[in-house]
Amino acid sequence: MVNPVLLIAVPLGLAFMVPLIDSASRKLTRFVPVAALLFNLILCIRLIPAVLENPIVINLGGFTPPFGINLFVGPLGLLFAGLISLAGLVVSIYSLSYIKNGPVVKYHMLYMLLLTGATGVVLTGDLFNLFVFFEILCISSYALVAYHGDRAGIESSIKYLIQGTVGSGLLLIGIGFIYGIFGTLNMADIAMKIATVEQSTLFVPMILMVAGLGVESAIFPLNAWLPDAHSSAPSSISAILSGIAIEVGLYAVARIVFTVFGISDIYLFFAFLGILTLLIGEMCAFAQSNIKRMLAYSSIGQIGLILFALALATNNTVTGGLFQLVNHTFSKGLLFLSAGYMIYRSGSMEISSLNGMGKRMPLTSLAFTVGAFSLVGLPPFAGFPGKFLIVSGALLKGEMVINILVGLVLLSTVIEGTYFFRVIQALYFKDGNGEQRKQAPATAVTAMIALMILIVALGVYPKFLADFLSSASSDLLDKMSYVGSVLK
Amino acid sequence: MKSVFSLILLVVLGAGVVFTLSSIPFGSTSSDVGEYYIDSGRADTGATNIVTSVVVGYRAFDTLGEVTVLFVAAIGLGAILAAGRENEEKKKAEWEPASLVLYTGCRFLFPLILLFGAYVFIHGHLTPGGGFQGGAVIASAFLMVYLGCRKKRISRTWARNTESISGLVFVVTGLTGLAVGGHYFLSNFLPEGTLNTLFSAGIIPIIYIAIGLKVGSELTGVIDDLIEESE
Amino acid sequence: MSFLQNNIYYIGAFGLIMIGLLTVLVKHNLIKVIIGLSIMDTGINLFLIAIGYLRNGTAPIFSSPEVESILMVDPVPQALVLTAIVIGVAVLALALSLAIRLYKHFGTLDLHKIKELKW
Repeated sequence: MVNPVLLIAVPLGLAFMVPLIDSASRKLTRFVPVAALLFNLILCIRLIPAVLENPIVINLGGFTPPFGINLFVGPLGLLFAGLISLAGLVVSIYSLSYIKNGPVVKYHMLYMLLLTGATGVVLTGDLFNLFVFFEILCISSYALVAYHGDRAGIESSIKYLIQGTVGSGLLLIGIGFIYGIFGTLNMADIAMKIATVEQSTLFVPMILMVAGLGVESAIFPLNAWLPDAHSSAPSSISAILSGIAIEVGLYAVARIVFTVFGISDIYLFFAFLGILTLLIGEMCAFAQSNIKRMLAYSSIGQIGLILFALALATNNTVTGGLFQLVNHTFSKGLLFLSAGYMIYRSGSMEISSLNGMGKRMPLTSLAFTVGAFSLVGLPPFAGFPGKFLIVSGALLKGEMVINILVGLVLLSTVIEGTYFFRVIQALYFKDGNGEQRKQAPATAVTAMIALMILIVALGVYPKFLADFLSSASSDLLDKMSYVGSVLK
Repeated sequence: MKSVFSLILLVVLGAGVVFTLSSIPFGSTSSDVGEYYIDSGRADTGATNIVTSVVVGYRAFDTLGEVTVLFVAAIGLGAILAAGRENEEKKKAEWEPASLVLYTGCRFLFPLILLFGAYVFIHGHLTPGGGFQGGAVIASAFLMVYLGCRKKRISRTWARNTESISGLVFVVTGLTGLAVGGHYFLSNFLPEGTLNTLFSAGIIPIIYIAIGLKVGSELTGVIDDLIEESE
Repeated sequence: MSFLQNNIYYIGAFGLIMIGLLTVLVKHNLIKVIIGLSIMDTGINLFLIAIGYLRNGTAPIFSSPEVESILMVDPVPQALVLTAIVIGVAVLALALSLAIRLYKHFGTLDLHKIKELKW
């Protein structure tokens, strides 16, 4: 059996090695992230059969939990790790040609460390360790948002940094409270001891921790930084921030709420919060004329939808929510990547400047269209089974409040469809200035085609993924088996 | 309206904090995990400083993450400062040279501070101190030379390579533990030796020396970047 | 009086956190905001240390074989604070480099004057 700790250790080691590689050969540096993420992807695929049988628990340093730190590689963690390495691999291929200016070596190092931090967050079984990896994720994204060093990038990076730092401060206070109450930091150990104290004592630590993680996962009302940061970052980074970073934040929120605390009284509150985030995100996206801001607001909306699906806490809705999450990673990644080259070509982020792009960059425009259709939830793309599972699962609950919320979900889908079709109309049915047809570079095209194939494949054979997601959702909901497998 | 709302929020949060703190009385709590570390920390890791045995033994993975955070910040700082510098023309500021007393004093103190920093991180498993503290002391020596001797600079390639190699040493030590020492990442595969001697505690001194060098060269790099920016 | 004596570290820690938070929310100057973040970090570290404190406790170091293990403070919060300090330093360094760049671009550090991106 391969050891899952390599998923973190190998990219970290390679990132430390980059300066040495750089002094040996400058050209080789660009391929280090590709190699590291390819390695991670292969490792994840090799781990699937073992993990489906039994979650793998790795005790680091040989100390048994709760005394040492442990990694918990269940289906959910592996799903996220695989998603991070797959999306990361595709985007790193895209950045080979997209990132040409500036401190390129540092870009590749930061990019690799960002993904390592994300992998650490989803695999760890220790609360403070989660905080540490979360900080790696956050700090590298602050730096990458400001990568171009232009006015908008610096300004949004500052906003992001201030809000993110206050958020992680709150998270740390919450962790301090938890340690004071339970005297342990191991998530399984806390989950086991949670019933021994009064629920009212846990309220403040939970609010602090959820608020702290909520900043990174862009839950309303903590998402003021997101539209700025995601729209001013380089497009490859926007794709990763939208596709990976906020999802990882959402994973941490779900892990803490479901597994560590497991207080089911507040799930409905999160469902409301999700719907509110969804509606506000979609309405703001509708009002945008800047394409990257529109995509950023649409990410807020999608996060709200996924939060709503997870908060309903039935096997069907969580499976649907995770399906939507996978779909969001691929399609929002595809949208940002294709928008990146269209912006590069037209020189402006305004939607009106994309008129007639369908003739000038046919493949890139096709990629954008596929991403948009999938995000709205049209068959045969990956968005359809996700939304279908969420809606049908929610209606199965048969509660009046939830039925109303489902109505709002459908309404928001209509809004989403409207603004995406507006862009597609501009791409294909409006005349632009008659420029020459010229495609994006080969590496970028490869990345976009790979994502398109993934989206269509998941849309046509949803069962392939849904089975795995179903065991991932029981991993998230079944608190007792989590505790049992860590503290055996 | 806004201030009333935030005041209410603050009062509610404050009441909640007080309520939660009442279940954590000050000065008497002692956690199971903490007691276990104090009782068996010496036997498990061979370090007499229990904080060290927690930082580099039980929770060594945290420390790997922590080193990475500092690494990320140093690269990020370099990237942000370099990104804007490209399209600016260099203008060299004329710095007044330091006085003879300052110059000589800095040069005299520099090796002593370096020695003290090295002492702090080499003895991390025996005395209060460790890699981060020692690294910070070493970086302060370089800062003093930068401020006192003005024109002296370290070689960036040298600093970058030290940083890189010491980071690699940490990861490779962990991987060696995975390969030979009972199949756990970062497990102790070296003999623990006798307590309270310099050559004890297995991999802890190796990791702390790597951390000390890494933190020292990283913080020196940060100082160098910032000083270059101010010129 | 004994309430104050018993809880002075908690009060101090949360006082610092609140001061830091208030500075972040109220001040317009970026440097002051960064100082506020730093004060908040300090408060959090103090809070973590206070949680692990044992009355009349000593440092958890067996500097000689005779040292008894009773009345040693909890080593875990100290390890956590060590990590938290390093993370705080990292964020601080990054924030200051951003402040330098921001000043180069806008010629000011007043966050109220820097509002190019609409909401």
